[in-house]
Formats: sequence, C-alpha cells, structure tokens
Amino acid sequence: MLTPVGAGLPAKDVNDNANRLTLRSALRFFAGKPALTLIGLLLSFSAHAFDLQQLSDQLAKPSVIHGNFIQEKHLRALPQPLVSKGTFVLAKDHGLLWLLKTPLQQDYRISAQGIARRDANGWQLLPNKSAGAEQNRLFLAVLQGDSSGLQRDFELQLQGEAKQWKLTLIPRSLLLKQVFTQINIDGGELVQTIQLLETQGDSTVLRMQDSTAAQPLSDAEQHDFAQ
Amino acid sequence: MPSERLLPRLFLILLVAVLALAGWQWRHGAPLSANLMELVPGSTPDALELKAEQRMQEPLNREMLVLVGHADRQKAMAVAQQLGERWQASGLFEKVQWNLQADLPALREQLLRGRLAMLSAKDREQLIEHPDAFIQQRVQALFDPFTGFSLVPSQDDWLGLTGRIQNSQPQHGSVQLDIGSGALIADADGKSWVLLRARTTGNAFDMKLPVQVADLLQASRAQAGEQGAQLLAASGLLYAANGQQQATREITWVGGGATLGILLLLLLAFRRWRVLLAFVPVLVGMLFGAVTCVALFGHMHVMTLVLGSSLIGVAVDYPLHYLSKSWSLQPWRSWPALRLTLPGLSLSLATSCIGYLALAWTPFPALTQIAVFSAAGLVGAYLSAVCLLPALLQGVDLRPAQWPLRIAEGLWVLRATLIKHLPSPLLLALVLLFCAGGLWHLNSKNDLRQWIGAPPQLLQEAQAVARITGFQPTSQFFLVRADNQQQLLERQAALGQRLDQLVNMDKLQGYLALNQLVNLPAEQQRLRDALNQLPQHWQPLLDLGVPANALHAEIAQLQGLPIEDIDAALVGPLAEPWRTLWLGPVDGGVAAMVSLQGLNNPALLRVQALDLPGVQLVDRLGDLNRVFADTQISAAELKLMSCVLIVLLLILPFGVGGALRIVALPLLAALCSLASLGWLGQPLTLFSLFGLLLVTAISVDYAILMREQIGGPAVSLLGTLLAALTTWLSFGLLAVSSTPAVSNFGLSVSLGLAFSFMLAPWAGHQKHAL
Repeated sequence: MLTPVGAGLPAKDVNDNANRLTLRSALRFFAGKPALTLIGLLLSFSAHAFDLQQLSDQLAKPSVIHGNFIQEKHLRALPQPLVSKGTFVLAKDHGLLWLLKTPLQQDYRISAQGIARRDANGWQLLPNKSAGAEQNRLFLAVLQGDSSGLQRDFELQLQGEAKQWKLTLIPRSLLLKQVFTQINIDGGELVQTIQLLETQGDSTVLRMQDSTAAQPLSDAEQHDFAQ
Repeated sequence: MPSERLLPRLFLILLVAVLALAGWQWRHGAPLSANLMELVPGSTPDALELKAEQRMQEPLNREMLVLVGHADRQKAMAVAQQLGERWQASGLFEKVQWNLQADLPALREQLLRGRLAMLSAKDREQLIEHPDAFIQQRVQALFDPFTGFSLVPSQDDWLGLTGRIQNSQPQHGSVQLDIGSGALIADADGKSWVLLRARTTGNAFDMKLPVQVADLLQASRAQAGEQGAQLLAASGLLYAANGQQQATREITWVGGGATLGILLLLLLAFRRWRVLLAFVPVLVGMLFGAVTCVALFGHMHVMTLVLGSSLIGVAVDYPLHYLSKSWSLQPWRSWPALRLTLPGLSLSLATSCIGYLALAWTPFPALTQIAVFSAAGLVGAYLSAVCLLPALLQGVDLRPAQWPLRIAEGLWVLRATLIKHLPSPLLLALVLLFCAGGLWHLNSKNDLRQWIGAPPQLLQEAQAVARITGFQPTSQFFLVRADNQQQLLERQAALGQRLDQLVNMDKLQGYLALNQLVNLPAEQQRLRDALNQLPQHWQPLLDLGVPANALHAEIAQLQGLPIEDIDAALVGPLAEPWRTLWLGPVDGGVAAMVSLQGLNNPALLRVQALDLPGVQLVDRLGDLNRVFADTQISAAELKLMSCVLIVLLLILPFGVGGALRIVALPLLAALCSLASLGWLGQPLTLFSLFGLLLVTAISVDYAILMREQIGGPAVSLLGTLLAALTTWLSFGLLAVSSTPAVSNFGLSVSLGLAFSFMLAPWAGHQKHAL
C-alpha cells in the first residue's frame, strides 16, 4: 500500500543527481572538446551540391596521411599569435598522432581509447578529457566515413572544385553557437587549412603543409598507435 | 421507562453535533494524508535533522527521471523529444527537460568570481609551492590543441585558473552530453539512453498527482514501445501512485468484503430486513473514529482508513450481543435484551479499548492513529448500539433461523465428546506441546521494507536507471554543525579526508560536500598572498607576448576579489548540485549536509563520524530498523500490561479466579497463533505481534460471553461464533493486502481469532445471581 517511504528511504533515489550531472557533462564537454577532432570530421561528408559526397570520397581515400602543421592561436588580447609547429600522422584505422615540436615539445594521440599525452613514462590517457567518450566516438565515427553527426550539428556550405575547395561549417545548436561562430576549411586533394572562429573572439588557424598520402605508417608510428 | 425515550434523543443530539464537527473538518476537502513518513517512528526529535531529511527527500518526491532507450541514438533522441513536449503540454509538470542549453555567460561569471574560492587543493598547492611549474603548465596549455575551449577567454584569465576549476569538478556517472542536440545520453546494453528529467507541480503526497503521472508514463511507455523505444523511469511519485492505487483497492476489498459478508450473515441468521440496522453502529463508529482522528492529529492517514476498516467487524459485535439472544429469549424485545447484555457489552467495550489503546503507546504514529481511531470508533459504536439501535429495533419480532443454533449445538456436543475421550488437562498438554514445537520454528524478521508493497518491476526499473546513469545516491547522509562557516568547512574537510579513503578503497563511489565548492577563507587568503610571488616566475608567459601590465592587472583584480563565503559560492549555475546541502544559520550556528553516492557498506559510515565534533550520520533506514527491533520487546511488555489491566477490570464481576481464567484463554490463543506462524513458516514481525496484542483484547470478549452463558452454552457459543466470524471477515481480509506489514497483521489476527473461538468454551460457567 502507501509507499512514499519506499520512494524516499531505500537507495533508489536517482533523481536528485540529475541536477549535478547536467552541468558537469557540459563542463566535461567544454573541457574535453579538442579542436583538432575537427580534422577528423573532414574526412567525410554526405551529399550536397559540388558535392560533399565527392569531397567525402576524396578525403576518405588515403589510409595514412603524413604532414607538417603550423598552429596559430590568435588571442584577442595578444598582438602576435601564439605559433607552434610540428608534424601529424592521420591513420584511417588508428587515429591521429599530433606531434608538437616548437616552441615546446609535446606528443598527443587521439584513438579509440581517448586522448593521450606522452610523458617520460609513455602515453598517458588524459583522465578528464578522455571522459568525454562522446567526442571520441564522434571523431572515430567520422574517421570511418559516418558523417551523420556532422550534418546534424553543422550547416555545411561547400564552394569551389575538387582541386581547390572551401567548406564552411556553421553550428546549428545553441550550445555549439556559444563556442564557435564558424569553422572554415580549405583544401585541395587534402585538407590545407582549418580556421576556427570562437564566439569569444579568439581564433585558431591550423595549416597542414606538405601532406602526403604516399607514405605508410612507420614502425615507430605503428608502435605509438598500438600502445 | 423514561430512559428508553431519553437515550435515543440524547444520542441523536450527540450524533448531530459530531456530524457538524465532521462537516467543519471536511470544509476544505478530505483531511487525508498519504505521506507514509508520518507513520513511521519519529526517531528524530531534532528539528534540524528533520529539516535536512526533508531537504534530501524533496526532489525524490517531485522529480522523475526517465531514460528513453533505443538502439539507434537518433531515434532515441527523437522519441525523448516527443515525450518531453507531450509531458510539458500535460500541465502536470513544472519543468520537463530533455536537453541542456547551458547558460554559459552565467557559468563564466561564476568561474571568474570564484577563481580563488573554487580552485582545487591540488592546483592551489602547485601555485603556492611550485609557481614555476604552475606557469609552465599554463604556457603548455596555451599551445595545447587538446585543452579544449575554456569557457573564459585567455585575456580574462591569463593564469588559466578557470580552466583548472573546470577540470577539477567532481565527476560521477556515465551520462554524456551530445554536442549537437544538448541531450544527455548514456550507452548501455547495446542501446543509447536519453535522459529526461521532469519536475512535477505538486509532490508525491498530493492525492491525485502521482496517479496522473503514473498514467501518463504508462501511456508514454506504450507509445514509445510502438516506435521500438524502451522507457525506464524512477521516481518517488511512482511508488506513491502505486501505493495509492493499492490502498484504494484494499479499502474497497477489505471494507466492501467485510460489509457484504456481515450483512449477508445478519440476513441469513436473523431473516429480517430491519436487522440490517445493526450496521448503524458500524457507520457511527467510523464517523466517531474519523472525527476524533482529525481532531487529534489534524488529518487522517489513508493507512488508518485501511486498517481502521477492520473496525467494521468489531463494531458489529455490540448489536450482535443482544441480537443473538433471540435464540433463547422468546419473544425477543430490543430493550430487555439490551438490559440483559449491557454488563457484558460494557465489559467488552472496556477490554477492547484497553487492547487498542495499548497500541497507542508503541512508538509508531501509525498505530497510535489506528488505536485512537478504533477506540473512538468503538465508543461510538457502543453508544449507538446502547442508545439508538434498540429504539430503531423496537417492535421487531426476531425469529432467527434455527440452523445456526443447530450448528452451535452440534459443536457443543462435539466438544463434550472430545472432552470425554481426552480430558481437558491432557488437551492442554497437547496444546502446549503444539505451541512449544511451533515456537521452536518461529523466527522473527523486521525490516522497514515490510511497509512497502512496491511491485518488483518498479524496483528493477529504478535499479536499471541507477546502473545506466551510474548514479547510486544513498539515503544516508552526514549532517555537519559548527559555530560558523569557517569551522563548518574545516569539519567538512576533516570528514572529507576520511571519505576520500573510502572512495579510494571502492567502498564509496563519491560524495558531495560544500568544501569541494568553496575553499576555507584562510586558504583563499593564502592563495591571495601567494599571488605576490608570481611576477618572479611568469617570464615564460611574457615571452609568449602576454603584456606584463595585463598580468599585473589580473593579479590586482584577483587580489581584489572578496573572500567568498558559502552563500556567495552558492550563487551561479555551477553550484546547483551543492545548493540543497546548505542548511544555513541554525540555532546560533550553521549547518550543512554531505551527501553520498554508491555506498555498499553502511556500517563503515558510522565509524567515519566518530570523534569528529559536529559530524553526525543520519541513517533513517538503519534507525528505523533498530526501532522496529526494539519495539518488539516493548510490544510484548505492553501486551502483558494490558492483560494485567483487563484482569483487574474483570475481578469485579468474575472474581480473581474467573478473571485470570478469562484472560488466560486469549493468551493461550495468542501463544497458539505464534506457534502456528512457526509451523506455517511465517516470520514473526512487529505487525503480527501488534495483531496478537489486539486479538487478546477482542477475544477476552468471547471468553466473557461463554462464561456468562446467558441462554445456555449453545446460544453463547453461537453468539461467540457470530462475533468471531464478523471480526474475522474484516481482519482476515487484511491478510490479502499486498503490503507485507498489513497482511502479516491480518494473518496473525485471523489465527488468533480462530484459536480464541476454539478455546472460549473453557472459560467456565459463571453462576449468576441475577
């Protein structure tokens, strides 16, 4: 019969925690959302005019891409951008290696396990950020050519032709709009530039240079992905 | 006789007065309550503890957590959205939320304001002790493409304190944010589960809302099912709804069944329509009971109504006392029959009231209410049976059916034959042997869960929701008191250290305490002082091009932040989970709670609070179970006391020997019932004990009837049989209740009645002077 006691006392009270999970999830998302996940997103898109399908196919073709990158962080309050350089390896079946060389040295890896950073003891999964299984899932789904998530979250505009194209991503959801105003991607055979315009006024430009799809994974790289 | 004319009139005046009082009590609708918390022992005399408890319970009684599961994530979100919109439109909910659109400006503001107050111990330590490493990490973070987007732009927070606060927020659970839709999603069992929260307009103790919510959920479940989606829901409201439906069903069954059975019995035995007027005392009894209950307690609980409906069977015994005299007293006339049985009736009222009122002294408000309801009801029934009913039955010429008498005579003969072959002492020995054997098998069991007739499906769903979301809140929590906020935070920190150890040992999943949200004022001050040394270490930041004046300005700004107290820290969206924990200023001091997650050993908790001043574990569940066990002993004592009282009462009419004998029989009957419980493999619960306590009082009546033997043994046996049958009709039906407590009660009363009836003929024969 009457059971408010049942409701209250035994440990099946899940509700009061709903509050705390919402904000925490939001924070985790913002803390963990890697800008470069978006590189992965570029590997594929579904059909549109020029068309997105062709671009998607074109980008999905190479199984391994090697290249150099220059990252410029334009902070509103700084006269010069923060510039860093390094190399990257994007492997279709494994994930992304992002090796920062200057001004400081730091290696990152995004794979099915999450985001890892290399220290003296080898690869360390970043606990806070790897908790965002969501963006890793999304990232990997996109790596495998599943672009449904991207279409849902962004308005896609493609201009140009296969050799010289420009893709603009405009966020749809209120949540993403509070982070990005726009993301611009330029490329030819491969992606060349990614520009992230943040709502706060900062922006990041990633230039991928000398990208080549000709080289297979080296032993060291395979080792890095395997750990 | 003038009294025969006066009494009905006086009683009618009383009745009208009581009716008027009832009307006044019901002027704002039914003064009913369904809050079961009111019925369990009030083991918390402390007002603060009570307030803390209510605070922890409040969301449980108003919120519902729903998971919409589908193998296809998109589909799950679509169904959740539909559901959310439909529920929002239903008007039952204040707020239905299935996606999150965080208020980022407010979050930013809070982070900036709380840069010193909210920085975690680890980050504080680094800034103070290793400023070089602190600056180095900041430089790294500025280049790190994976740091993610800080909510606060770099130029507002060059030192990156807000980012550190963001990253150090305690995390539990396995619910993730879907970036595009803002939906909260957990993956489990090969499905994506979208989380939906709904807050109702009223609470679980509202009389209508829970059932409406349960119906809506039921309909939504079916609709989701059509789309291949599965719904899981957890809420205190669902238990309340289930409880209410069950209570309504049981009142109908017990009350309706008993009424029908008794009316049928009356008709069959007395073959006069007007004999149905014997039900008037029952109605009057109910009225008196309800009015007294509301007058004393301000309202009446539904559970009182359910258990109180068994009063029907006892109340009808009063008219039966003199109606059954029609078998021997011919021609039967109402007033003379009443006069003949009045002493017995009055004794019966006194003994029953003693029995019921003994229940009132147990620490269970539930039983106190039932006792008051029943005692007042019995008085009402007695008065109407004595004052009003004879007038109503005046002129009725009762010619009862002869077959019941023949049955009684048959039984009497059977008993005589039995005694011829097996003399009473031998029988007694056999009965005692039976009792000893049964008691050997009897084991006792007491748990709060006996109050709960929750269907397993509700429990399973709540467990599934807890498993999928990873949230396992516990009902226990710590209450921390202190003279001021500073001391409070210190005490919480001391407790937190111990709890951290439990978390590390996997004995506890996590906890939430205010000191996680806001640092001690002294710590904030230390941090503020440490900022002075930073300029000697921040060269790497200057090398990046960060303007020195910007850094200096930031230091000045940080040092200008006021020391945050708890009230200030609780402003802002980030503080939402902690807000309920703060109880504020109380009794010249302050108090707050520490809530717990995923506890698997409650015994460990009690130890944590040891020798920590001001820290107290609140474990209502554990306390209640202890009260249950303790009460069993006091219930037995009460039983003996009530027996002593009854003996004292009966010495006057029956002498010491007679009184003892009359009381010994119900006690033996109770013993036999206990033994039967043992033989049946049923556990002895507090409620079966209460049942036996009651049956002792009621069955004294049977012994008195048999001892007086007005109209011969067979007629008295018949009267006893009728009384026992009507009582059994109402109490026995309680045994079908799906609440273990109530059904236990019903079962033990049924057994007790059966044995009391069987043993009643041994009450001996009183030589009447009359």
